[in-house]
Amino acid sequence: MSLHEGKVGSSYIVKGIEIETAVARRLQSLGMVEGAVVDIINGKSNGTLIIKVRGTRFAIGRRIASAIMVKEAA
Amino acid sequence: MGNSINGPIKVAFVGNPNCGKTTLFNAYTGANLKVANWPGVTVERKEGSAVYHGTQLTLVDLPGIYSLTSYTMEEKVSRREILDGQVDVIVNVVDASSLERNLYLTLQLLELGKPVILALNMMDIVEERGMEIDLHRMPEMLGDIPVVPVSARKRTGLEVLLHAVVHHYQEVPSEHIVHYTADIEKKIRKLIHILAKEYGEDHNILRWHAIKLLERDQAVIEEHPVDVSAVVDKNYETEIINQKFDYIDEVLADCLLHKSEKAQATDRIDRYLTHRIWGVPIFLGIMACVFLLTFTVGDFLKGGFEVGLDWFSGAARSGLEAIHASGWMISLVVDGIIAGVGGILTFLPNIFILFLALAFLEDSGYMARVAYVMDGLMGKLGLSGKAFLPMVLGFGCTVPAVMASRALEKEKDRKKTILVTPFMSCSARLPIYVLFSEMFFPGCAYVVAFSMYVLGMVMAILVALVSSRITHSRADQSLLIELPEYKTPNGRTICIYVWEKVKDYLTKAGTTIFLASIVLWFILNFNMTGMVDNVSESFGASLGHLLVPVLEPAGLGMWQIALALICGISAKEVVVSSFSVLYEITNVNSAAGMSALAGILGLSGFGSLNALALMVFCLLYVPCIATIATIKRETGSWKWTLGMVLFQLGLAWVSAVLIYQVGGLFGL
Repeated sequence: MSLHEGKVGSSYIVKGIEIETAVARRLQSLGMVEGAVVDIINGKSNGTLIIKVRGTRFAIGRRIASAIMVKEAA
Repeated sequence: MGNSINGPIKVAFVGNPNCGKTTLFNAYTGANLKVANWPGVTVERKEGSAVYHGTQLTLVDLPGIYSLTSYTMEEKVSRREILDGQVDVIVNVVDASSLERNLYLTLQLLELGKPVILALNMMDIVEERGMEIDLHRMPEMLGDIPVVPVSARKRTGLEVLLHAVVHHYQEVPSEHIVHYTADIEKKIRKLIHILAKEYGEDHNILRWHAIKLLERDQAVIEEHPVDVSAVVDKNYETEIINQKFDYIDEVLADCLLHKSEKAQATDRIDRYLTHRIWGVPIFLGIMACVFLLTFTVGDFLKGGFEVGLDWFSGAARSGLEAIHASGWMISLVVDGIIAGVGGILTFLPNIFILFLALAFLEDSGYMARVAYVMDGLMGKLGLSGKAFLPMVLGFGCTVPAVMASRALEKEKDRKKTILVTPFMSCSARLPIYVLFSEMFFPGCAYVVAFSMYVLGMVMAILVALVSSRITHSRADQSLLIELPEYKTPNGRTICIYVWEKVKDYLTKAGTTIFLASIVLWFILNFNMTGMVDNVSESFGASLGHLLVPVLEPAGLGMWQIALALICGISAKEVVVSSFSVLYEITNVNSAAGMSALAGILGLSGFGSLNALALMVFCLLYVPCIATIATIKRETGSWKWTLGMVLFQLGLAWVSAVLIYQVGGLFGL
């Protein structure tokens, strides 16, 4: 599943990022790599999310959220 | 220890966006560079200098970066400066309240093999949250570099940091800090061997280059065209990043005590401010409050200024008469300069309150949320929520707002944002609204003035919408912006911010408006034959008359108005100061001044509908010279800039005509 399909208030573990290199690198340098834990804090109807990764909050657009492949954290 | 190095020590400030780097830099250099609580404020490097106990230091403020790859402008600038710029020592500024993310950059800097000093900024917030950092253990885990707790906001630890710089600027961190898996370490050793053979043992920072080769870093590969395919059989970047973060987890487990539960305050506040339904109304409410404060408190404070100006104007006149100055001299000083410049100064309280409110919103951390809150609406206009930040800045001044559009990644988005930013009513247009709404709409002046702000936003939305329809551009939903934790706004930061703006305003009054007033006075009092008694025979009148037929359908067919609008291109406040000079009213912003001006204008049939058309025209027409120059600089195209100016002129004319004609039908 992608982060876009995730639920507000849940935690997920990143499995991979499928997006063009420039954005992928940017996400990686924020610590968004395979195995990182992502919490979805809030979301809007257009798919924009507020997430928390490695202790920092980010707002990310739907296209980016859809590109982040995750699995549910145990 | 520092021995005889001649010349200043070069210190580079490196850190994540929004970690307080610029605030710290300002604290040393007193440069008062602009600080905003969202990423991307520092795009270029800035230099300043400081002296510590007789040692000269050159300080360089670099753009905020998250990592040392070379994929963004900011990263390229910073990396080039650190690697090639003869930097003696890196001061890595770290947001101590967000160590997990910040230390990632630190670990990369440590691998560079340059002297690094860690400045733990925002320690006050760490303490506020009841956390503690083990300052003894931390350096041990970070290659024995000096770790100095500072608070740029509260100006503590600043001396200690410089002490560390001066005493440790030649100490390189121990080489192995992060130990990667055996497999990767073996490959690093092999690569170091290859690099040393090819480029010499003393080729600096071999380990860093080896790691970068494993990460397939484009720039490093290009600089080292040596065949390493036997060792680098795949891209190890993800593994290397993960192992760095694993190490950070170890550091935090050892060094961070009472890991905070209180960070949840931000989440609690965000539950309301970024609410999926209430987020937008709350933002609009906040902006309405900002403008309400600007008008009411600003007007309240204005009284003192008016009394002062009246007194000064009277004193100047009698003073000049006492020294038997000639009539034209008295006229120039009193009717030209004092009326023009002084009239503008009385709006200072309004401007002050407006910027105070904006500074408060920025420093608290709310502004970045606005990007998220407005992302939905902006998406419909084909823009990212990030484009809304320059637009909000536009309420202050269009010049920095246009520059702030640099934070947008795509050229197309940048241009579209620049196109609509001038529609956000800047503080220079505020005096026009205040004056004309209070003169012609007593009782509902606030509503009328606020409606100008709303109209500007509506226009911005329409123009963005139409332009994305024409170019078929759609928002690609790739917003990515950090939302900092909320914090109590800092008095000093706000003071610097507001003072900068007030200073700009005063400077503008002293230069642009001063000159415009003199020029205006001159063309109003002279024609080809010399000084005139009747202004309607002056140069100015002839110039204004040229435009009267064009402005007639908008209800603005008076040569004085035409002239004021032309002069307003130098700065929008000049529209107001022109009225003072044109009608020789010393204090146009006082009750007496207003009723005098309204009376004179009323004689020529200028009523409330004309005033409305005038305000709308001023809202939309050509931005001031400074803005035009900035737009040219940012877009790099005269053609585009001129096209935009003509477009806005056309839009202003059509809108003003519509309002005047349609309003006329309803008998307003």
